[in-house]
Amino acid sequence: MFTFLLIIHSLAAVALLGALTHQAISVWWPARQRTGSFVSSLRSVPSMTYTNAIVGLFVFTAILGAIVYTEYRITVRITLQDYRLRVPEGAFELKEHLIAIGLGLLPAYWYYWRPALAKEYARTRAIVTSLLAAIVWYGFLVGHVLNNIRGFGS
Amino acid sequence: MTIGRAFPVFAIAFALIYIASVQYNLTVVTYHPQIAQWGWLAEAPREGQGPAMYWYGWLITATLGAGVVAALSLALPAKPIERISAVLVWLVPVAMIATIAYILRGYFLR
Repeated sequence: MFTFLLIIHSLAAVALLGALTHQAISVWWPARQRTGSFVSSLRSVPSMTYTNAIVGLFVFTAILGAIVYTEYRITVRITLQDYRLRVPEGAFELKEHLIAIGLGLLPAYWYYWRPALAKEYARTRAIVTSLLAAIVWYGFLVGHVLNNIRGFGS
Repeated sequence: MTIGRAFPVFAIAFALIYIASVQYNLTVVTYHPQIAQWGWLAEAPREGQGPAMYWYGWLITATLGAGVVAALSLALPAKPIERISAVLVWLVPVAMIATIAYILRGYFLR
């Protein structure tokens, strides 16, 4: 059951990572004109339409992470401690706090992406989006490394 | 959207209260994953029954605290709060991330 949830958690994280990365790129480096190239397409996504999906995916991924976290604490973390793998253990500790801060940031993220505030708070919106993207990238990479050390029913 | 202007205040307060909860273990609940049991406030790990988890409790503490702060902020003048919030909404979380990285430095520095 935990393996299944971990796989769904990973897939949701991939979708979230893609959406947030697209949005962050398009908000900092918008395309003036779509030329049909890959880079141009990447820069010219309609960022605003991603917002609700990103909020939903972030919450969904975090809930799944919160469920599988119990298994991490009673099996994986003990292994890390037994083998004195302090850096991966610390990296995961940091991950849980970053995800918590990301969760707290979501209402503000949603607020600054409302069309009515499109021009007024463009910089705040860009920074908040980038901060969330950085949090998700960190969480994804740490989760991936931890899974390589001891994951999927090992 | 009047209530929406409290959302950035919520994010600022959440980051601050969450890190304070971690540092001082201000948890509302404790979860004992090995025996699948919950307890109120901060409980020590039960002997022979695995670790105790406080993360869920820290999230609840931060959500409740930030909710109260955000609600109170609605009583303050809108424009100045919106202007200050637009900067603090990212500055405070970044500062709190730096703080938690400092708190956890023992894992990375030998």
